[in-house]
Amino acid sequence: MLIKRSDGKAARQRLASTYLGLSAGGLDRRSFLRNAGMGGVGLATLGALQPLTARRAEAGPTDFAQPITRRKNMCTHCSVGCTVIAEVQNGVWVGQEPAWESPINRGTHCAKGASSRETVHGDRRLKYPMKLVNGAWQRISWATAIDEISAKLLDVRQKNGPDSAFLLGSAKFTNEAAYLFRKFAAFWGTNNVDHQARICHSTTVAGVANTWGYGAQTNSYNDIRNAKTMIIMGGNPAEAHPVSLQHVLTGKELNRSNMIVIDPRFTRTAAHATEYVRIRPGTDIPIIWGMLWHIFRNGWEDKKFIAERVHGMEDVRREVAKWDPAEVERVTGVPGAQMERISKLFATEKPSTLIWCMGVTQHTVGTANVRALCILLLATGNVGAPGTGANIFRGHTNVQGATDLGLDVTTLPAYYGLDENAWRHWSRVWDVPYSYMEGRFGSKALMGLPGIPSTRWFEATMMPGERHKEGAGENYVQQPDNYKAMVVFGHGGNTVTRMPEMVKGLEKLELLVVADPHPTTFSQISGRKDGTYLLPICTSFEMDGSRTASNRSLQWGEKVVAPIFESKNDYDVMYMLAQKLGFAAEMFKHIKVENGQPQAEDILREINRGAWSIGYTGQSPERLKLHMQHQNDFDITTLRGKPGTPVAGDFYGLPWPCWGTPQQKHPGSHQLYNTNLHVKDGGGTFRARFGVERNGQTLLAEGSYSRGSEIQDGYPEFTVAVLRRLGWLEDLTAAERESIEFHFGPNIDRASWANDLSGGIQRVAIAHGCVPYGNAKARANAWNLPDPVPVHREPIYTARTDLIAKYPTLPDRRGFRMPHLGVSVQNRSTEVVKDFPIVLSSGRLVEYEGGGEETRSNKWLAELQQDMFVEINPADARARSIADGGWVWVMGPESGSKVKVKALVTERVAPGVAWMPFHFGGWFQGEDRRKYYPAGTDPVVLGESVNTITTYGYDPVTYMQETKCTLCQIRAA
Amino acid sequence: MARMKFLCDADRCIECNACVTACKNEHEVPWGINRRRVVTLNDGKPGERSISMACMHCTDAPCAAVCPVNCFYTTADAIVLHDKDLCIGCGYCFYACPFGAPQYPRVGNFGGRGKMDKCTYCAGGPQADNTRAEYIQYGANRIAEGKLPLCAEMCSTKALLAGDGDIISSIYRERVQRRGYGSGAWGWRTAYKEGVRS
Amino acid sequence: MRALILTLALLLAAPALAQTVPSPFTARDQAPAEELELQRALQGGTINGRVSIPDAKSGNLVQPEGQNWRLFHNRTLYTIGFVAVGGMGVVLWLFWSMKGRIRITGGPSGRTLTRFNLLERANHWMVASSFIVLMLSGLNLTFGRYLLLPLIGAEAFTSLSALGKLGHNFLSFPFVLGLVVMLLLWAKDNLPRMADIEWLKAGGGFFNNAHPPAGRFNAGQKGVFWITVVGGGLVAFTGYILVFPFFFTDIAGQQLAHMVHGVLAMVMIAAIMAHIYIGSVGMEGAVDAMTTGEVDYNWAKEHHSQWVDEQLAKAPPAAAAE
Repeated sequence: MLIKRSDGKAARQRLASTYLGLSAGGLDRRSFLRNAGMGGVGLATLGALQPLTARRAEAGPTDFAQPITRRKNMCTHCSVGCTVIAEVQNGVWVGQEPAWESPINRGTHCAKGASSRETVHGDRRLKYPMKLVNGAWQRISWATAIDEISAKLLDVRQKNGPDSAFLLGSAKFTNEAAYLFRKFAAFWGTNNVDHQARICHSTTVAGVANTWGYGAQTNSYNDIRNAKTMIIMGGNPAEAHPVSLQHVLTGKELNRSNMIVIDPRFTRTAAHATEYVRIRPGTDIPIIWGMLWHIFRNGWEDKKFIAERVHGMEDVRREVAKWDPAEVERVTGVPGAQMERISKLFATEKPSTLIWCMGVTQHTVGTANVRALCILLLATGNVGAPGTGANIFRGHTNVQGATDLGLDVTTLPAYYGLDENAWRHWSRVWDVPYSYMEGRFGSKALMGLPGIPSTRWFEATMMPGERHKEGAGENYVQQPDNYKAMVVFGHGGNTVTRMPEMVKGLEKLELLVVADPHPTTFSQISGRKDGTYLLPICTSFEMDGSRTASNRSLQWGEKVVAPIFESKNDYDVMYMLAQKLGFAAEMFKHIKVENGQPQAEDILREINRGAWSIGYTGQSPERLKLHMQHQNDFDITTLRGKPGTPVAGDFYGLPWPCWGTPQQKHPGSHQLYNTNLHVKDGGGTFRARFGVERNGQTLLAEGSYSRGSEIQDGYPEFTVAVLRRLGWLEDLTAAERESIEFHFGPNIDRASWANDLSGGIQRVAIAHGCVPYGNAKARANAWNLPDPVPVHREPIYTARTDLIAKYPTLPDRRGFRMPHLGVSVQNRSTEVVKDFPIVLSSGRLVEYEGGGEETRSNKWLAELQQDMFVEINPADARARSIADGGWVWVMGPESGSKVKVKALVTERVAPGVAWMPFHFGGWFQGEDRRKYYPAGTDPVVLGESVNTITTYGYDPVTYMQETKCTLCQIRAA
Repeated sequence: MARMKFLCDADRCIECNACVTACKNEHEVPWGINRRRVVTLNDGKPGERSISMACMHCTDAPCAAVCPVNCFYTTADAIVLHDKDLCIGCGYCFYACPFGAPQYPRVGNFGGRGKMDKCTYCAGGPQADNTRAEYIQYGANRIAEGKLPLCAEMCSTKALLAGDGDIISSIYRERVQRRGYGSGAWGWRTAYKEGVRS
Repeated sequence: MRALILTLALLLAAPALAQTVPSPFTARDQAPAEELELQRALQGGTINGRVSIPDAKSGNLVQPEGQNWRLFHNRTLYTIGFVAVGGMGVVLWLFWSMKGRIRITGGPSGRTLTRFNLLERANHWMVASSFIVLMLSGLNLTFGRYLLLPLIGAEAFTSLSALGKLGHNFLSFPFVLGLVVMLLLWAKDNLPRMADIEWLKAGGGFFNNAHPPAGRFNAGQKGVFWITVVGGGLVAFTGYILVFPFFFTDIAGQQLAHMVHGVLAMVMIAAIMAHIYIGSVGMEGAVDAMTTGEVDYNWAKEHHSQWVDEQLAKAPPAAAAE
């Protein structure tokens, strides 16, 4: 009687489609919700709120008699770019289905992706604009909020200048929002605009771009399937990028590859490795040099590759010679035999790839670390081919895209920089006079001066600007006045180090605007009483736009449901602000705005018209949408569209550079610098970015060129002048020529592949088999960096004070408008280590992301990690009478900082090393601050932030913060 | 007729918990009920391996054997389901279950733990397929839609396999052969009285 | 056996492959699943790991003891229950058919003695009535699926069993309270005496129609008393472990608690069945002790001669004879 028979059909057909059309007539949303249990009373009391907040729990099961719409968007929690398929009924997101057709995730997700639906429909979201009035949260209308914020911003602009406002953007932005935000900052008149890339991979971008041209992952997650040997260094993708492990592990199984994990912590990734190398935190360069020592000594390097495509390897050899096995073991703790073994595997069992994450980048030597890794790849010839390369796993949905589109204090979109040529280029794209842009800034000098990065914004509220710098010595910011206002879009408040200082900085601000789906740590951490606004922004799932995954593929996500509650998307809010601030007409001159809503497609078209330097030009919204429709037609390993399909020949997501105009149909570039392919097929060379000659040596490639190149040697980047010399100028069409002449007039020779708005120069170069940016050598010696060849420098707070004398950090200096301390802080280590003997590192948990506000508000995720904890080795725990699961205080060496967390006693960390996850917030130095959140918006799980006890220490090139090795003390609470 | 089973490849499982939240998502499983969970053996040591575990839908299921009210039944696909209208929340199935699968909505002192809840292999319960009544008590019924359990479908590394026992065990055997190692099918001996190779 | 051989084959095959294939840490220093499960099933113990959720018990990956418990529940307990309860039924029936009702040899005298006061009787009935419900609901939980469910159908059986479960859990409190009071009231009179040995030697006189001397309680009654108090106490203790799951002990402890609970309960049920028999239909005059509290002098003289003597010694015979 109870036995139910089901057929268990193998076919994955949705019965819903069979049921479609059987219903007598579609119900409207209101009656649907009523039927589904959301009574009329509920709707009435919600008043102005849209009835889109119905949850599936109330709505019941998917009703197969109702039409179901499947919409695709991207998971927002890391850079892998997993497609999320949402099933939407009557405006309610009722179900999530595996996206089998996506070549990236192939149906799968991690805990975060599989709970995306709750992210949107979660009841802890910020529901309407709010304002802090004398310490209490008040609901206000959008109009009031925008009026008051704009008035205050204009007041700051008037009194202190545009640079006194800090605009902090987000890696959760779509490409279009990131671009718009950067443009917004330009039209406001400041370079003080930044986002999360500063604290995750800014050093990667700097290090990699300075080596071979572009600051991005060279290959892709899928391409790792081709690797025979992989080294994962300073990364734990099993937790940070779980879906990438699908490709890593599958590739490893198919090729029986070597998987080597180098990390101070035995991570979940290390558990799956074939070899695990435990290092002392902060010794990445000695490890790499130690490997190269074996490689050079045994002649395992790729001599042909080095000769043809690498500049300055001799300088590296000299540095490497210092790192014999004894010195490597003394500094890193890794024995010589293991070093030799992994060196041999990496250099001889090829193709080999290097995968790295924040364990490499978040250091005072982050850029140098990255450079050393790149040099290891170059020395072994592991760049520019399948299965090789620098596979840099980035952290957010669109941190690559947001970086590309210039959410950065040092550049305009597409890495044009801040010089006059850059401004002139973008003024042409935006169709506003250069003089107009100049007029928006405090001065022409400030227009070209990199801004203050997100890692140190709070210091810029406390030290004076140039107007009041008398008596401050070096402690001033190099702009008229210090920070008075901060506008934060989609960025947590617990993500930067030295939180006790950050809280002081927060209290100094006259205006704080937090535009986010959640109130974030910023809303509750400080003693602010007024001048604070919370704007409810919808999640990425509630808006259209493209996102660039770590592998440079762009994917178009469509709005799954309309923004819930009173939330609005980033575009609309920026437009509202621009209107009130008085530059909307110029800023949106060529962007279609319908009913106050800028259209994402149109913003992308403007990006296509301007971002020539990195090939963001071929990815029109139409092409991207076509790829999303035909995801199934791409090969999993090559990412290439299968023959006979509408996307035949294209690489999935048109990974940049996708040269020329969309009409030129460039397929995108799956592997950067791959000379085995024609540039038309995504081939490339190292970029000629640093001139053609240095100290009498050529910087151009010698005897190496991409397949089919008519110039069979190195060549510089293409300009009109180069075209003329090659006799290819006539290949430009009349229209292209006209455009170049119109924009450059008498300076026509200066028109280049990067600033020719017609795309003609790129088209002609490619037609001749040449890469528009030239064909140069990669730089083993990057002479413009503080350490042209990376050298080991002990962490600023080090437990090995005996090594400071030999390996000191850089001297005190200035940069990014601020003073930057080095040795003066490091010299304190000798004293500090007596009271704080344990090295503290931090990292990621699979259930949470970033500052964690969003994921800790998701009850399905929050249930899985309910307590902030510190991992401590059993030996250290025993010495301190600390029990597994017991409460402990972890104390930092600055500001008397301390946090109260639970102890997780484990051999995962070595003796003398502790590790904490960085996603928690809501507690501050032992105090539970839940009551300071606006009612109903507090995340489910709160806890201490690790950054409460992290310390000073910044990379000299990007001001990346040091989070991976500082010192601490732990005692039972 | 298929004989549905779960197989977790511990050499692939990375404890990402996608199976856990996919389950929560598909069935709106409330806080505190863990139809599926990931257990890590030798946590933090070499030899660490994680296994995603839920009801294994045993052959000759112990829960069904000991249930005092006989509320369990086995579908034609060999999926072990139960009828919450008959369950009295006695807890016997939890004593008998080798995998700790049965869950109870309340803490359960004085026997008030409520009706047992467990993995349904995304096959709902005794009510008519994909009805509101079925959804509220048991969650979605993907099997009736011709789909497999969402936990396995969404597994990040394709470690968790669901489907006909012969098919998934041959997939697993092929994997082991290809890569040269494999710790076996966790729970199979206990649940199905057989290993993956027999 | 076949599985075992194959497991061995797998183990032997592994080193051969290991030469060419670097195996990951997940595949090192650990027995394969099948072997580990087999070993745990044979030697006991669970396969345990760490989980991130606070529910510590979910760290149990495989607990083969569940199978043992199932065997106990479905075989041992059924057998014990069947033998104890069914066996006692048979014994009593045989006894009844052979002996019939045990009469007062001298016939009722018409004079009575106060055997149990109101408190004692009330307490007895509190224990007795709660025990009856506990027993029936307990037996229902064990055998009802086979005996009752087919008769009344699933829905009715569930309603009944759910009620029975409630009754079982909450009537334990009056039951335990009664046991405590019983202990206070009657423990003194239930301490063993020399006469008990004689009484037992004589088989309680059941078989030879003799009436060996006994105090207030004879050895048989003492047995029932101690079985009730000690057994009941243990059954209650193990029961409470089960009513507060995971409060006192883990799953293995609960399984053990259930086993003790089940076996003792069956033994108690059998003992109490005999007690009920002899206290009601089995013996003339016995039931009065727990109804009115007044027993016939002759009955008392026959069954509790020493007690009668003690009572007479304490009080004037005239009063006793009234």
